[in-house]
Amino acid sequence: MAQQQKIELQDLDLNQLVEVKKQLEEELSHLTSSFGQLKQAQNRFADCIESCKAIDTCNKDKTILVPLTSSLYVPGKLADVEKVVVDIGTGYYVEKTTEDAIKFYNTKVDFVKENLEKIQATVAQKQGNLRSLVDVMQYKVQMQQQEQKAAAVTKA
Amino acid sequence: MSAAVALQRKLEADSAAYQTLQKDYSKAVESRQRLDSQLQENKLVQDEFKLLKDDANIYKLIGPVLTKQDKAEAVTNVDKRIDFIQAEIDRVEKQLQDLQEKTEKKRMELVQTQTALQQHAAQQK
Repeated sequence: MAQQQKIELQDLDLNQLVEVKKQLEEELSHLTSSFGQLKQAQNRFADCIESCKAIDTCNKDKTILVPLTSSLYVPGKLADVEKVVVDIGTGYYVEKTTEDAIKFYNTKVDFVKENLEKIQATVAQKQGNLRSLVDVMQYKVQMQQQEQKAAAVTKA
Repeated sequence: MSAAVALQRKLEADSAAYQTLQKDYSKAVESRQRLDSQLQENKLVQDEFKLLKDDANIYKLIGPVLTKQDKAEAVTNVDKRIDFIQAEIDRVEKQLQDLQEKTEKKRMELVQTQTALQQHAAQQK
């Protein structure tokens, strides 16, 4: 596959190579930003798991501060440590036991992890493509310079 | 001379049409991607519903409030939404194909006009 592509690259002229390079770089930056977003999502789910673990029987009836906004809190009491309500997407929320919620978030984390690995593989492949592309470009530029030099010598 | 002017005019009109086609195409691609992410999200919700017991408490976010909803109702809602999104995807897919054909045709026309113009210019010399 890589060999095949290299032959194709050799056939392109410099302007085309620049275009391909631009396209590859765009794809790469898009992929890396997706990677970052997924990483963030993974961290958010991990935080949720931690929070679920904090809601257990030994913390029942303890006072907590409930955030109303990011800077305003009201005191409250943890009355129910059995159940939590989980956002499962598209505006639907489901009541779950804390264990089920942890399980739910764990599957989410695994799901995201799988996708992260996929993206990482694609990024590595694209980076490889970009490297071989840059190699070919350098080679072509060198050839061009040599030709120019040779032309200059024959003129002189 | 007037033939050259006419060709020039046609070239301008063609390239303008080509550009609008390309714009439409990228718009269609965008909506296709958005539909795909919506489909994915709805499918995740559907899978989650399958794991739930029938008497599970499901709430739907309507504006700022959560309202309770039957599982059966929620499931049919999501199923319907998935059907709808699938239909939309099919529609946009067709649109994409159509636009691609049109763009290709316009491009050929553009190239033809360009070569005609060049030939004309060569003859003038």
